Amino acid sequence: MESLAPDTAPSAPPPIRRLDPQDPTPAQEAVPTTATSFVAAKRSIAAPQFSIRRMEVDRVSIHYGAKAAVKGVSLPIRQGEVLALIGPSGCGKTTLLRSLNRLTELTAAARLSGSIRLDDVDIRLIEPTLLRRRVTMVFQQPNPFPMSVFDNIAYVLREQGSRRVRKKALEPQVHSALARAGLFEEVKDNLKHPALKLSGGQQQRLCIARALAAEPEVLLLDEPCSALDPQSTAVIEDLIVRLRDDVAVVIVTHNLQQAYRIADHVAFMYLGDLVEYNSATRLFNSPTQQRTAEYVSGAFG
Amino acid sequence: MEEELQPEYGPKWSDQRVERMLGTLVVFIVGLLLALIVVVVINGWPSFAHNGLSWFGPGGNVDDQLSAISQSAETGAGYIYTFHAWPLIWSTILICGGAVVLGLVTALFISVFLTEFAPAWMSNLLRPVVRFLASVPSVIYGLLGVLVLVPFIGNHLITEHQKASVAGIISLTGYSLIAAVIVLTIMIAPLMVSIFTDALSSVKPGWLEGSLALGVNRWRTIWKIGVRAARPAIVAGTVLALARAIGESVMLAMISGSTAFAPNPADGLIFIYEPSRPLAPTIVKSVDQLSSPPAKATLFAIATFLLFSGAMFSLAGALTRRAMNKYGAA
Ligand SMILES: Nc1ncnc2c1ncn2[C@@H]1O[C@H](COP(=O)(O)OP(=O)(O)OP(=O)(O)O)[C@@H](O)[C@H]1O
Ligand SMILES: [Mg+2]
Repeated sequence: MESLAPDTAPSAPPPIRRLDPQDPTPAQEAVPTTATSFVAAKRSIAAPQFSIRRMEVDRVSIHYGAKAAVKGVSLPIRQGEVLALIGPSGCGKTTLLRSLNRLTELTAAARLSGSIRLDDVDIRLIEPTLLRRRVTMVFQQPNPFPMSVFDNIAYVLREQGSRRVRKKALEPQVHSALARAGLFEEVKDNLKHPALKLSGGQQQRLCIARALAAEPEVLLLDEPCSALDPQSTAVIEDLIVRLRDDVAVVIVTHNLQQAYRIADHVAFMYLGDLVEYNSATRLFNSPTQQRTAEYVSGAFG
Repeated sequence: MEEELQPEYGPKWSDQRVERMLGTLVVFIVGLLLALIVVVVINGWPSFAHNGLSWFGPGGNVDDQLSAISQSAETGAGYIYTFHAWPLIWSTILICGGAVVLGLVTALFISVFLTEFAPAWMSNLLRPVVRFLASVPSVIYGLLGVLVLVPFIGNHLITEHQKASVAGIISLTGYSLIAAVIVLTIMIAPLMVSIFTDALSSVKPGWLEGSLALGVNRWRTIWKIGVRAARPAIVAGTVLALARAIGESVMLAMISGSTAFAPNPADGLIFIYEPSRPLAPTIVKSVDQLSSPPAKATLFAIATFLLFSGAMFSLAGALTRRAMNKYGAA
């Protein structure tokens, strides 16, 4: 596996510049409209080096019983980019995200129509457990298992292997997963400690590490920072941007500034409809839809 | 105006007052418990004092010893206390241990099925049924055992050849170890199932979902995350079931066969058809001898033994739970 430490990876993007009124450097992408502070905070990270289309959501509708939660949504998901899903509460973001690795099937009432493809294969043809290893998900509430930090990661590795592996043999993989999630330095001396004793931000990064240990191709994040303080949020945002070259990242967020900071493309949903899918800069600065403009300006206005 | 409001300021039942009342209640209950233990131990002490450690060991026929003890009160030649409880203890270990192990395995599978795999209607129907079964009086299980299971074992499972092979030592009638274990398992499994299902369904859904979202299948998820997280409650339920099994007297007196025989695994598989009698039913059987002082001491000594083993299991259970809670499962 290639090293992902930012100082060794040749193509690693520079760290994200965060919203900071004291920040002396002027914003690079000065945009005329809605000139609020968040616009000035548009990150100075490099544009994506490349982007490969990995998943394709094609006219997907999802119903819970008679209620439509997602209505005919189509959009691409690309590796090399971060895709953010935004929209008011209840508009179907979580539902759409969960459908990407067939987690919606665990809800008895949920019905899906349309198709979702991963590398041009309909995901209904991929065995669910295999699909969920290729497309892993991190939830809004950090949910580390009631085990040690080490075992939380090792669990994924052990369940993937067919034979029982000794602890020692798993160490390199566990360490590298923790390092990718930017957690290793903080927990390296406490790998045997209960994961539930970590701070909220550390728990969420442990969950990300766990999701990364499965070596996924697509990483789904459902409001990963909603329970976190700004510091932990910043760490996770850096991490997400750093990950985008290796995995396609989809993030649901209520924090529009966060979407603006880290996403390359943004999808705005409203009552189950995909209202607008556009590059982050365009969606926030010159939205083509009235609803998008209202939502974006309402939140920042 | 202010003076009128004064008495309304505090609630009638202040927290301190409730705390004090509950505290008194707790002290009272603990006191009662201690008194109970002291009475039992003091009454049983002569039996332990006369036999020493051999009380727990094997030697002689327990039923003969018991009748000698109770008759010694009338002979005037001094009390006899000689008592070697091993056959009773061994029977208790075999029957209760067998039932708890069997019950634990069955109850775990049933609970996993009910919480994770059964359709909602089935689970909604069966869970109250299981709770009801857990509350059926044991004497009813005893009656059914005598009526159905014992004759079936005696007439269909035990062969004439087997009966003949041990004819000189013991007669095999169907009142047996296996009958006792089966009925006791049926009796305690519902208790375990109802505790286990409650524990499994209160495992944080996020843990299970988190495991499923990582591509671990449902079966592995429920065992590695669900059952694992529910372990403290599983231990607690098992200890409770074990306590109920050890204390069970009426049903076992009806089914286990009323001889103080020590079934011997060295006899081969036939030992599961051999009769025996655990400790608790022995007390029930001999309760009419209480007027004889040495018999009374012997019965209370048995009670002491039961009380202490119960306490030991609770303690062991609490320690295990604490060890398991290290990672914050409960
Ligand atoms: N398990 C379920 N059963 C029935 N309806 C559901 C279920 N889950 C979600 N819904 C409904 O589907 C709609 C979309 O829900 P979803 O959770 O996808 O919204 P969301 O955009 O993620 O909202 P939020 O931002 O508040 O998380 C909502 O109206 C919700 O009531
Ligand atoms: Mg949601």
